[in-house]
Amino acid sequence: MNDLPGSPSGKRWIQWMDIRGKGAGNWGFLVNRLAGLGLTLYLFMHLIVLGKLSRGADAYDGFVKLAHHPAIIAGEVLVVLAVLLHGFNGIRILLTSFGLEVGRQRFWLIVAAAIAILSGLYFSMRMAGVL
Amino acid sequence: MMPHGQRENGWIWLVKQLSGGLVFLVILIHLVVNHLVAEGGLLTYNDVVNYFSNPWIAGMEIFFLIVVVGHSLLGIRSIVLDFNPGIVFLRIVDLVLSVTGAAAIVYGVWLTLTITSVV
Repeated sequence: MNDLPGSPSGKRWIQWMDIRGKGAGNWGFLVNRLAGLGLTLYLFMHLIVLGKLSRGADAYDGFVKLAHHPAIIAGEVLVVLAVLLHGFNGIRILLTSFGLEVGRQRFWLIVAAAIAILSGLYFSMRMAGVL
Repeated sequence: MMPHGQRENGWIWLVKQLSGGLVFLVILIHLVVNHLVAEGGLLTYNDVVNYFSNPWIAGMEIFFLIVVVGHSLLGIRSIVLDFNPGIVFLRIVDLVLSVTGAAAIVYGVWLTLTITSVV
């Protein structure tokens, strides 16, 4: 298969981690693999926890009280950041897949990460009532 | 990213890309509406039940559930393909992922119907 310059070979998973001397496309690939794994784990935890809704107000509200723990809040900020990174970087990957902006993967990776981090921080502060 | 391995065919790859675009669109709505637009950020049982009493919201959440479960499990499959699995192992993975996805969707729809019928 004729891979694009800087695109992952996909032949060996361990090559995800080995980004030495490779282009921005590999960083983007690694970011989306790791964020995607984390988000899948979160998705299933989220669905399981929401099951408390079927057991009435006390069960759910009791859990929400527990979830005000700083560690859980920090985890939620990470989830929001992971969603935005995976999403904006995913759009960049989609464009690359269709042959657009292939030579400027580093630029668009930085743009995607910057938008994700800034909007993630803004959203987290709004969610926490800081702004 | 080019479709990699010989067993992620173009159609599956395309579904993953398109469902990804849909997930991103709906997850932004999900996050903004659930946390910023909904009064108080849906932090109590009553808030959640009232919120889901709107059939458009319940419908959007079920649509979101189906697309996001599909996209996440296709993503896991892509990661499995990076390990160059044998065809038998891959078929087992496909079965496990399909059953997991179907169970998650049935469970989520059941949960949505349960809380919408509370009102």
